[in-house]
Amino acid sequence: MAADDDGDRSKRRGTWVPLGLLSPGMIWLGLFFLLPLVTLARTSLSVKESRFAVNADFRWEWSNFTNAISDYSEQFVRSFVYAGTATLLCIAIGYPVAYVIAVRGGRFKNALLGLVVVPFFTSFLIRTLAWATVLSDNGPVLSMLDRLHLVGALDSLGIAQNGGLLSTHAAVIGGLTYNFLPFMILPIYVSLEKIDLRLTEAAKDLYNNGWQAFRRVVLPLSLPGVFAGSLLTFIPAAGDFVNARFLGGPNNTMIGTVVQDRFLVQLDYPTAAALSFTLMAIITVATLMYARLLGTDDLV
Amino acid sequence: MTTPARRPVSASMTRRSLLGRMGALAGAGLVGPTLLAACGSDDKPVAAGGGGNGSKALWFDNWPAYIDEETEGLFKTASGLDFKYTEGYNDNNEYFAKVQADLAAGRSIGPDIIAPTYWLTARLIQLGWVQEIPFDKIPNAKNLVPALQNPGWDPDGKYSLPWQSGMTGIAYNIKATGRELKSVGDLFDPAFKGKIGMLTEMRDTVGLVMLLTGEDPATATADTAEAAFVKIQDAKDGGQIRQFTGNDYMDDLASGGFSACIGWSGDIAQLALDNPDLRFVIPEEGGMSWSDTMVLPNGAANVDNAAVWMDYAYDPENAARIAEFVGYNSPVDGVQEIFAAGDDFQKSLAESPLLFPDADTIARLNVFASLDEDTEAAFDERFSSIVGA
Repeated sequence: MAADDDGDRSKRRGTWVPLGLLSPGMIWLGLFFLLPLVTLARTSLSVKESRFAVNADFRWEWSNFTNAISDYSEQFVRSFVYAGTATLLCIAIGYPVAYVIAVRGGRFKNALLGLVVVPFFTSFLIRTLAWATVLSDNGPVLSMLDRLHLVGALDSLGIAQNGGLLSTHAAVIGGLTYNFLPFMILPIYVSLEKIDLRLTEAAKDLYNNGWQAFRRVVLPLSLPGVFAGSLLTFIPAAGDFVNARFLGGPNNTMIGTVVQDRFLVQLDYPTAAALSFTLMAIITVATLMYARLLGTDDLV
Repeated sequence: MTTPARRPVSASMTRRSLLGRMGALAGAGLVGPTLLAACGSDDKPVAAGGGGNGSKALWFDNWPAYIDEETEGLFKTASGLDFKYTEGYNDNNEYFAKVQADLAAGRSIGPDIIAPTYWLTARLIQLGWVQEIPFDKIPNAKNLVPALQNPGWDPDGKYSLPWQSGMTGIAYNIKATGRELKSVGDLFDPAFKGKIGMLTEMRDTVGLVMLLTGEDPATATADTAEAAFVKIQDAKDGGQIRQFTGNDYMDDLASGGFSACIGWSGDIAQLALDNPDLRFVIPEEGGMSWSDTMVLPNGAANVDNAAVWMDYAYDPENAARIAEFVGYNSPVDGVQEIFAAGDDFQKSLAESPLLFPDADTIARLNVFASLDEDTEAAFDERFSSIVGA
């Protein structure tokens, strides 16, 4: 009997402890994620009686979604193209950096990682404004390119426009790449760091050259890092509005800009909510497809 | 004005543009209506209804850098009031979104005086969200210039008192344009492709372009504004327009990003002191004029104290001190005479056509039509689809 009681108690403790540990996070998410999400879902299907009405009436107004998508498909497409390009650039720039730090970093590893994180000590906004200054028409980058007579070439490549670097696709993509690069480097670094380098030695013993060893051993093992980094880069980049606002022009707006404008200038909460949900849905689908593509189900 | 951080000297250029951009970002925060309501309601004074509660408190929430540095302290000393002056007013639409829920529900928003631009003043009056100003306690209100008495946005002149007025025209850097500009049409000159700025303030941009298309902004309707919208849309699509900005156009103008743009008189009045290449012109087609006003939102607890402040601000000496700093058109009579009798710098201000436009210029200024709710919504919608947001 006594033994049974003990068993029950420990079993009971066994169920309560994880619950107790989870509850702060669950309550937090419930209050600040789930609840607003439900409110947002309601708003996205509501209609405002008049423009200055504070509340919208819930009416299963699905046309909010169709209108939002048809009116702003251009910004949706642009957002995903920008975010996708920025993510690819982040991989191209971030992977080698992470590789060198993880494999060749030696005793400088921590210092190098620190350098990757240092820009984060400054606010996102200030970093973006700094880019605006650097790329401005009287800024250092343009005057150097001018001295090298490269502005014309960049203009014909579409990177510069009318002899300026701001208000271009390139400026916004560049800003996104810069701002989210550390989110790519850190997860890739973590996954590379975990790899037992003796595996590459083994690969070489089996007559792989350096490149083959990398491609067949290191790269597949680091894919979870690339996957995590891509999500951390792509998702916030697709919804970003700061880079488009300060580095882009009127032809470079992203969906985040539209949501902001709908919410705060037009006071059109239903459309803003519908746009947010559409963005969320597309990102979710894209993420699942990406996971499939990389076969991350097996990797993570 | 979308992000005005008005400040006169070029030494503060960086701060100005930063303020402007910070404002834009604050406005960019994705906050739901309920959260917005919560923001609007912090720091509320204890509601005491009406006025005359014997409190010494007074709170004026104004646009950034829209007053000189001395007046706040001088007024505190002169009145003995506990005067709180904040610069929380960054953008008309953003501010409206912030206070809307509280005002609609009849709650106090905190400040006793706020500074909406004239068209928002009209909206607040129409919605019944502002109180009558106790003019019997403001003898200096008699100094209000005749042109601004009983204005279109407040036909009975009961609810608002102008804070500063200004003109919208074309600002340009003559080094970049290589010639004097005199027409709105110059903004569409292919020679300046990608170097043109326009304002996110719909009435300024659309109003000015309407003048170019031969329409009268004072009676704007969806039909008469259509040609202007099309013209702006084409210019944007064709890459003529570099950016739609708030007050940060100053930065772009000074740094060469813009050769020419739509701008506000006070900014150029001050900047031209340091950079003679910067010019401001009321185009031959005409310009726009606007006012930022002081109003008492419903629930403001210290109406009597607000009257003391308004009386103080409408004393010509005090108004001159403020006008000297901000560089806009003071709504108070007698400021020009005070400048004329002052030191050399003030004498130059007294003769500045930007601070004191002559009768010819004034005759060429237009105030944008007051739009009913649906028309305004349609205009805002159309404009924002062009601006790209």
